[in-house]
Amino acid sequence: MSPLGLLSAGEKAEVMEIRIPKVSLNKSVKDQTCHAEDMGLRAGKVVEMLNNGGGGPILLKINESRIAISRGIAMRVMVKRITS
Amino acid sequence: MSLELGVKSSELRETKRKTITVAVAGNPNSGKSTLINAIAGSRLYVGNWPGVTVEKKSAMFEYEGSKIKLVDLPGTYSLSPYTQEEIIARDYLITEKPDVIINVVDATNIERNLYLTIQMLELGIPVVIALNIYDEAEQKGYRINTKAMEEMLGITVIPTVATKKSGLNDLLKAATEAAANPSRYAPKQLHYSEDIESAATFIQTHLNEHHSSLQKRYPMRWLAFKVMEGDSHMMKEAGLDIDISLIEQATKHLTRAHGDDIESIMADERYAFAAGLTREMVKRPEIRKMELTEKIDKVVLNRFLGIPIFLAAMWLVFKLTFDLSQPFGDWIDGATAGPLSRLAAKAITAVNGPLWVASLATEGVLAGVGFVLAFVPVIFAMMFFITFLEGSGYMARAAFVMDRAMHSMGLHGKSFIPMLLGFGCNVPGIYATRTLENPRDKALTALLLPLMSCGARLPVYVVFIGAFFTTHAGTVLWSMYVMGIALAILMGVIFKRTLFRGESPMFIMELPPYRMPSLRNLLIHTWEKGKHFLIKAGTYIFAVSIIVWFLLNLPWGVESKKDSYLGKTGQVIAPVLEPIGFGNWEAASALVTGLIAKEIVVGTMAEIYAVEQEEQEETTVSEDIREIGASFTAAVGDSIRNVFATFGVTSISAEEDDSVSGLRTVIQKAFTPLTAYAFMAFVLLYMPCVVVAIAMKHEFGTWKWFGVAFGYQMVLAWVVALTIYQGGKLLGIGI
Repeated sequence: MSPLGLLSAGEKAEVMEIRIPKVSLNKSVKDQTCHAEDMGLRAGKVVEMLNNGGGGPILLKINESRIAISRGIAMRVMVKRITS
Repeated sequence: MSLELGVKSSELRETKRKTITVAVAGNPNSGKSTLINAIAGSRLYVGNWPGVTVEKKSAMFEYEGSKIKLVDLPGTYSLSPYTQEEIIARDYLITEKPDVIINVVDATNIERNLYLTIQMLELGIPVVIALNIYDEAEQKGYRINTKAMEEMLGITVIPTVATKKSGLNDLLKAATEAAANPSRYAPKQLHYSEDIESAATFIQTHLNEHHSSLQKRYPMRWLAFKVMEGDSHMMKEAGLDIDISLIEQATKHLTRAHGDDIESIMADERYAFAAGLTREMVKRPEIRKMELTEKIDKVVLNRFLGIPIFLAAMWLVFKLTFDLSQPFGDWIDGATAGPLSRLAAKAITAVNGPLWVASLATEGVLAGVGFVLAFVPVIFAMMFFITFLEGSGYMARAAFVMDRAMHSMGLHGKSFIPMLLGFGCNVPGIYATRTLENPRDKALTALLLPLMSCGARLPVYVVFIGAFFTTHAGTVLWSMYVMGIALAILMGVIFKRTLFRGESPMFIMELPPYRMPSLRNLLIHTWEKGKHFLIKAGTYIFAVSIIVWFLLNLPWGVESKKDSYLGKTGQVIAPVLEPIGFGNWEAASALVTGLIAKEIVVGTMAEIYAVEQEEQEETTVSEDIREIGASFTAAVGDSIRNVFATFGVTSISAEEDDSVSGLRTVIQKAFTPLTAYAFMAFVLLYMPCVVVAIAMKHEFGTWKWFGVAFGYQMVLAWVVALTIYQGGKLLGIGI
């Protein structure tokens, strides 16, 4: 397993775990995580890294949509690379 | 398959006059907005949801004998209460109970869209699916079995292509039928795992026994789910106060097996259901071609090319906006100040109106309102280009590219666009904060925005630079803009640690596919964005300009401007300005009038210092009218020429008229280079103009943020001017 943020463009991976405390004191962290899950970033999902350049946000292909997420979240999502 | 609505309104049978409320819900980027526009067209009414600035679109029209009220719900990914949009959509569905929901589902992305559908089916309101963007799904080689979809969900599914207006008639027919026969509505709801279902049944029984009054208001199974999920927002709304131990008793099997987070267990089951349904009814081609959108993104979001491309795009928008609109703005300004004022004066003299009425009408109302109207072309032009960038999908990319740079200010990428617009005029910048979902980002962006030196401050700089800094004109002007940006970064850092503490929101955003927006949609949205300015600002400014005129001309028959109320106000304020270098009543009065709009500072100074104005020539009525027409033609010509001329045209240039040179001589006597620079800095910073204030009130629904902006900017302006003046005096520069 490795953090999602370390995939390079073109790599695919299965989401294993989202390591953000569900019951967090900080409501906004929890809300943002749930929002990401509602957008399709959830355990078991296969995602493709479209853009991971520099220190800015990363771009993922989830289902048929392109979701940009900040690096902070991406580093807390653990994935398993899929070699094709 | 074209749509003909409302044509038979005269043949309506009075018996079927019940209004059917149709809520349109769906994911962002599912083409929902286009679908609404296609159905409602010009009957669309755009307002805000109560208390928030999320746009609310609705339309009333007649369809085959029924009155239909169409309500557009904000685009959401789920009905969980995490974002403002989700709460609005959910509250509307729960409390307003529309007769039917049209659920717009993106046919190219069914799985994620169905997640929302599954949640909606639990509400008990009839749902009809508009399987939108159907043509693209077909082009991509997807085979969607809509019959299977209808069977598996137990609801009607209508393939639609909103951009081509296809399927819309069938959709409305299905929706009105579903609304007319609610008893026949029997959706296949998700059957959760046994532990969840039994817990839900337990809670539902309890609710039925002890809170039976809620049965009228809420679907009880759904309410039981919310109780299990620990949805505090919903419990408060329903006035439910359930003993925690009861919930624990109901869910103990669950928590023992899966841990505490029942909400995510249920979310996972819904998602698995959506994924399963999708597998059953959609056949995808094996090999996926790289889509055009991905090809464009490879270039546009490239780590090296991204920012240069973004800057070039912004430069182009900026330039086109001002090149196109400036001549029209000048035309409005010129027409109201010149021929229209003369016409008004003549009209009032013709009916033997007193002289002061003529003065109020021309110097007060026409000058003030005309001044604001001069902003209209630039605002509409800018809104047009913003709408284009939004509609094409590039705006989301701009936010992606600029995200990192904006973090230093405690903001993220999306805030960059309003900031940039602020350099042209702060007002459209404030309105553009509408694109930011998060209230914190919106407020912080709006607070920092007035520090971007707008075009209205330029005339002030031009006059003072002309009087004192002709040798270093470019550098001094540039320093004003840089000062604004530097202070915005500084204030961003300060606000991040004070007013806006807490983790800055993380950037999560869907990048929609690139699409060519239709002209019709562009015009509708440009108008919707711009008309607020026209209406609200127009009415306020009208009032304010009358007040200012009276302040300058009262007490009655005042001889010297110094003794007018405005002059007296200036005298009161002057001591405060003493330490920062320009403690005289003239400067103080000019700054007071500059509160309305910053370029007025120059105008007031000219008036106060009684600069000889050119004698106005006698003109006839027909000459005046001809002048308006001729200058409009010239404006059209200039506008077109500007667009075609490239770098040569300095579009945002302040025009110099004859009175300016006179003013310069006076200013050279009243100021020193040091006090002039301090004055310029003060004008840059001292407060957003009234139009910005109105825009802020309008966008936030409260005067609070304007109050904060006013307060911090006054302090900042004074401190900065003090530093410049006292520092300069100490070092002996420019005295």
